[in-house]
Amino acid sequence: MSALTAILRKDLRLELRTGESTIALVFLSLLILTVLTFALNAPGGDTATAAGALWVAMIFAGTIGATRALIGEWENGCIRGLLLSPADRAAIYCAKLVASFVFMVLAEVAATMLMVLFFNLDFRIRLLRLGPVLAMGALGFAALATLLAAIQVRVRAGDLLLPLLIVPVFVPALIAGVKASNAALAGLPFAAFSQSLKILAACDILFLAGGYLLFEHVITED
Amino acid sequence: MENLSYLFVAYSIIFAAIVLYVMFLWRRQARLDTRLRGLEIQLNEMRDELAQDRSKAMTTATRSAS
Amino acid sequence: MGTKAAYRLGVATLGVMTAAIFMVFVYVPTEAQEGIVQRIFYFHVPCAWVAFAAFALVAISGVFYLWFGQQVWDDLGYAAAEVGMVFCTLVLITGSVWAKPIWGAWWTWDSRLTTTLVLWLLYAGYLALRAMADEVPQVGRLAAVVGIVAAADVPVIIVSVRLWRTIHPAVIVTRQGSHGLEDPRMIATLLVSMAAFTVLGTWLLMLRFATLRTTARIINVGRQLALMEAEMVDMGAQARGS
Repeated sequence: MSALTAILRKDLRLELRTGESTIALVFLSLLILTVLTFALNAPGGDTATAAGALWVAMIFAGTIGATRALIGEWENGCIRGLLLSPADRAAIYCAKLVASFVFMVLAEVAATMLMVLFFNLDFRIRLLRLGPVLAMGALGFAALATLLAAIQVRVRAGDLLLPLLIVPVFVPALIAGVKASNAALAGLPFAAFSQSLKILAACDILFLAGGYLLFEHVITED
Repeated sequence: MENLSYLFVAYSIIFAAIVLYVMFLWRRQARLDTRLRGLEIQLNEMRDELAQDRSKAMTTATRSAS
Repeated sequence: MGTKAAYRLGVATLGVMTAAIFMVFVYVPTEAQEGIVQRIFYFHVPCAWVAFAAFALVAISGVFYLWFGQQVWDDLGYAAAEVGMVFCTLVLITGSVWAKPIWGAWWTWDSRLTTTLVLWLLYAGYLALRAMADEVPQVGRLAAVVGIVAAADVPVIIVSVRLWRTIHPAVIVTRQGSHGLEDPRMIATLLVSMAAFTVLGTWLLMLRFATLRTTARIINVGRQLALMEAEMVDMGAQARGS
């Protein structure tokens, strides 16, 4: 547990100092939402399109930003130190996962506000119901991205390969997430989209378990 | 028989794909086998050479010892 | 293993396939609703079965590779992925060719076809990883991890795609379960086709696996050669020294 908090605190403190990852992710989300607004040309107040656009922004910003916590270790040559330390591999995974999750949540908060603005949704809309849905999506995505981040570093054209691997695996979470987000934005109670929530939860459990168990096999020096 | 062309196309594609894949695998295996045989011959030659060198080294050693 | 088993299995494949073709084109009656095009079904479904079974094999091989570490499992996984990809592509193509005359559209977002599309993307990712990472020493482990996570994901994909389909009823309606196989001859034909494709799939898997094993042996012999060369150089240096 102490290894986890130590690594996590280091990453968060690093991010707090420069804030470059978060700022970049926020701007990326803004960019994606702008492009989608022009491309989709949806009528104002359309919650379905807004929910879809939000998740597209999450996925593509996440593809670029969610792995930064782990990539940095390789880029700065710190991976050997991390592996030589007595830290359990699973603890490293959890720490990096939480860091990615925090980055993604921050980006999502910004993206949500932009979405409400761009798609002319009512600002009084019940965003509180949307929150858990987005959080679950971000958690699942962060779990996958942290597990597969090693591929981005060690394989040639890795940053092109990574989305090709993550996105199909993430599809069930995407389908359920968009459906749930749409329902939440439309003001429906949790019971109305409980099946979507169950699927999202199943995805999260699957990705977290997979990451926790398999991370040690992918993280080596290079 | 309406739609016969669709049936024909579907089955042709299936067979073409299978035949092509088998051919691809067969040729690849043939190439790999030739390469392996070549390397194994090289290995045996080198083994013989090495055995000769070792016996030569032994006789030189015993000669210099005596 | 070797070429004798591969030869025998090849002959078996030819035999069962011939039987299947005979049954599909001569024996089985034409289906009432869809007409002659419906016969695509008898090869379309077995292709899907092989595609999904191969994927399961990729994951199982991955688990054994991570657990035992022997190269055999890695090779088996890679072979299974390639064979599975071939059949997955065939499912999509035959499904498309079947859809056009029946429903007038080349692609339908039928829940089974959509799930197969996602499976195809998973395969593509796995094979792309293999292709691009061939010089990375740990590629087997990365591929195994990807295979395991992807395969575990498939049940969730199936459920979520079914959920997604409920939002899109305007697109073509899903075919019903057993595709209305009333005639026992139809069921018999389907079973024989399934057997034929299972044998075919196993044979292709064996062939592909053999090429990977041969490659492993080439690497092994190459290593032995290098060691011997080193020893000779070493002895040459010793001889000169004394």
